[in-house]
Amino acid sequence: MSGRYAFVLAGGLGTRLCLLSERRAKPAVPFGGKYRIIDFTLSNCVNSGIYDVGVLTQYHPTSLHRHIGIGRPWDLDRTRGGVQLLQPSLGSVTSDWYQGTADAIYRNLVHLRPRRAEHVLVLSGDHVYKMNYNLLYAFHQANHASATVAVTEVPEEAVQSFGILETDARGRVVGFQEKPRRAQSRLASMGVYLFDRAAFTQWLVEDAERSDSRHDFGRDLLPRLVERGEAVYAYRFQGYWQDVGTLDSYYDTNLALLSDQPPLDLRDPEWVIHTQSADRPPVRFEAGGRAERSLIANGCRVAGRVVRSVLFPGVTVLRGATVTDSILMHDTTVGKGAAIDRAILDKEVVVGAGGRIGWGEASTPGRACPEHLSNGLLVVGKGAHLPEQVTVGRNTRIGAHVTVDDFSGDVPAGGVIHGPDPEH
Amino acid sequence: MRHAMALVLSGGSGDRLSVLSAERAVSAIPFGGKYRIVDFVLSNCCHSEIERVSVLTQHAPTSLHDHLGSGRLWDLDRRGGGVEILQPFLTREHAGWYRGTADALAQNTDAIMASHAAQVLVLSGDHVYKMDYRDLFRAHEARAAAVTLAVTAVPPGERQRFGMVTVDRAGRVRQLEEKPKTTSARLASMGIYLFESEVLAECLRGHPVDLVLDVLRPLVEEGERVFAHEFEGYWDDVGTLESYYRANLDLVAPEPRLHLHDARWPILTRDEERPPVLMLTGAEVEDSLVANGCRVAGRVCRSILFPGVEVEAEATVVDSVVMQDTRILRGARVERAILDKFVRVGREAVVGSGADPRGDGVVASLTLAGKYAFVPERARVGRGAVLGVGTGPEDFVENQIRAGARVADHPAHADLR
Repeated sequence: MSGRYAFVLAGGLGTRLCLLSERRAKPAVPFGGKYRIIDFTLSNCVNSGIYDVGVLTQYHPTSLHRHIGIGRPWDLDRTRGGVQLLQPSLGSVTSDWYQGTADAIYRNLVHLRPRRAEHVLVLSGDHVYKMNYNLLYAFHQANHASATVAVTEVPEEAVQSFGILETDARGRVVGFQEKPRRAQSRLASMGVYLFDRAAFTQWLVEDAERSDSRHDFGRDLLPRLVERGEAVYAYRFQGYWQDVGTLDSYYDTNLALLSDQPPLDLRDPEWVIHTQSADRPPVRFEAGGRAERSLIANGCRVAGRVVRSVLFPGVTVLRGATVTDSILMHDTTVGKGAAIDRAILDKEVVVGAGGRIGWGEASTPGRACPEHLSNGLLVVGKGAHLPEQVTVGRNTRIGAHVTVDDFSGDVPAGGVIHGPDPEH
Repeated sequence: MRHAMALVLSGGSGDRLSVLSAERAVSAIPFGGKYRIVDFVLSNCCHSEIERVSVLTQHAPTSLHDHLGSGRLWDLDRRGGGVEILQPFLTREHAGWYRGTADALAQNTDAIMASHAAQVLVLSGDHVYKMDYRDLFRAHEARAAAVTLAVTAVPPGERQRFGMVTVDRAGRVRQLEEKPKTTSARLASMGIYLFESEVLAECLRGHPVDLVLDVLRPLVEEGERVFAHEFEGYWDDVGTLESYYRANLDLVAPEPRLHLHDARWPILTRDEERPPVLMLTGAEVEDSLVANGCRVAGRVCRSILFPGVEVEAEATVVDSVVMQDTRILRGARVERAILDKFVRVGREAVVGSGADPRGDGVVASLTLAGKYAFVPERARVGRGAVLGVGTGPEDFVENQIRAGARVADHPAHADLR
């Protein structure tokens, strides 16, 4: 089907992923041993036959831009259509920083003008799921909807993190509450919207002119449309969908990939998740190397023991080292005899020989971001160098690019080592 | 290197590689857990800044052509130059199969000269090595040579496999011997020749067939400036089954001679998008290379697993090379074997079992399975047996293939499975 166009919102501040999204947009956070979160949305687009995509970026866009490039891995390097990175810019009456999700698209309506698309698909680059958008289009058309919101059922205790929709028997949306304390319904918006183009443009212009709006789809635009009785429908998505909105859910979602029948099947040849992969040799297992219940990407070298962990490309686990229940991103090195437990190590971290990372009790919450670091997880930022023989307690946060000189001995549970100021 | 072009000879039929080259050119044979042999030469070209590469094909070229595509992977998809395939063609004057290495070049003289390259680098697509060709060009230019040969020292026991080169102190080539029984020369030709293009054009006018016999040897004998440039790194001609197997297994030695984990000289290849390796409970993998897309629940030792290989629980793979998407089911055992793509080894089957037909006790025979071969549940495939492409249950007698037996290819059966 030609003439389809998708906007992917990839600009939001991912504060809840703590260090991982300190210097990268959440869609650019590495996931699943070789991917980045946005790969799922982009792959869904091309697997659904949508080859014309605008990605809206704003917050720390560099790694995202580098990752997407000209869109080659997704076959989005095209003469007509393809992927276009849409950043905030100056130069016209509508130009400024994006205020909210609706505003971000309002400021890019100009990109819709030369296109024939009768519908506009609005996606979020923050979610992990495999979805055939063709079914959404079919549902939208069958219902003669003006707007369709994809929804998924969430547990009752989670309703306060999502936009919650109430529907009538035919799937028409009759209520929309953004992050309610309590709700009748458990249908959460997945941040996947399909709009009729003409209505959509009109609504965005209208919203932009309202001074009482925060210019957000979930908080302003959609509730207003529902209230005034527009034909807004909810499309019930049955598959696996994860927001990975917190450090804990990020961790759990990654480790869920290690089961025999993972809820998210990465090996499905009918729905390949494409990503930018560097040329790396196969995984090298050396004498004494051992890995169980783990995902290990090309370019890794394993001479130690790896259990229930996810290793991204180029990770080295030296002899005598053990890695358990952890996520290690690209090119991180675990020194001889070191032990890593329940930790997320960003890219290019070096753990000195004999280090004990994730040690002791887990009841002291982190001094830095206690809302994320209270269940025993610890995070180490990109490029940090941890000294030999150091012991790092749980719920700790080691900043990006810290050096061995930033340590004055062991780090107790809940401790913090600050890296250099990210702005410099 | 705007003034240079490379010609990669990839037309050989590779009879000595048995079922591996039954349906593909030697250059297209998978190697090292995710590569194809030709990737080494193409990556060398890419990193040596040679922007114009012609690949000469003849025998079963389809997989090679698929693999090369537009040359994008090696940054050889270029407006000027890039990668080009030179296949045999017909003219009004003659039927154009390539009769030899020099004949292949001679038939493409027009294409070669149309590049206006000052120098032509002739390479073989069948070798595994990492080499910066710029060193060769520098040596060539410093000596104002007409031809420069890359050479490498080989141990006395192996000299009868190669073209041996005798040089004088200045590095000038004095004698070329093709696979000599005995020789005092210690340097073998690597099949890498750098020609001044006028010299090459002149030689090709005489309708030579073989590059060494009809081109290089006459040049040496006529006293042309033919020099040798010694290469110190790892180089292997993987043109025989034994050398192919050894070169693969060498990659999992404690100190491999060829470093694939080298960020400064990565070997570029067509990378299918596959998820990371999934290691399940009970998996035990040592001294092995395992590529993305594999799923391992069994035991793997000193082996190479290409993308998408599955080793189920209680299955064992030892000293073996296992290519894309081959499955080794629960409780099966594979030892000293090369399994091509899409092979299936049934539950509790054994590949490479029993007595060795060679029986010399020094080198055990390799067992081979061609593409799509299917080994039924609990079947036994004896050592040194060769299962042709598409071998199936109907080829087994009493659920067995004898040691050293050869099952003919029946590719048509492959489509049925």
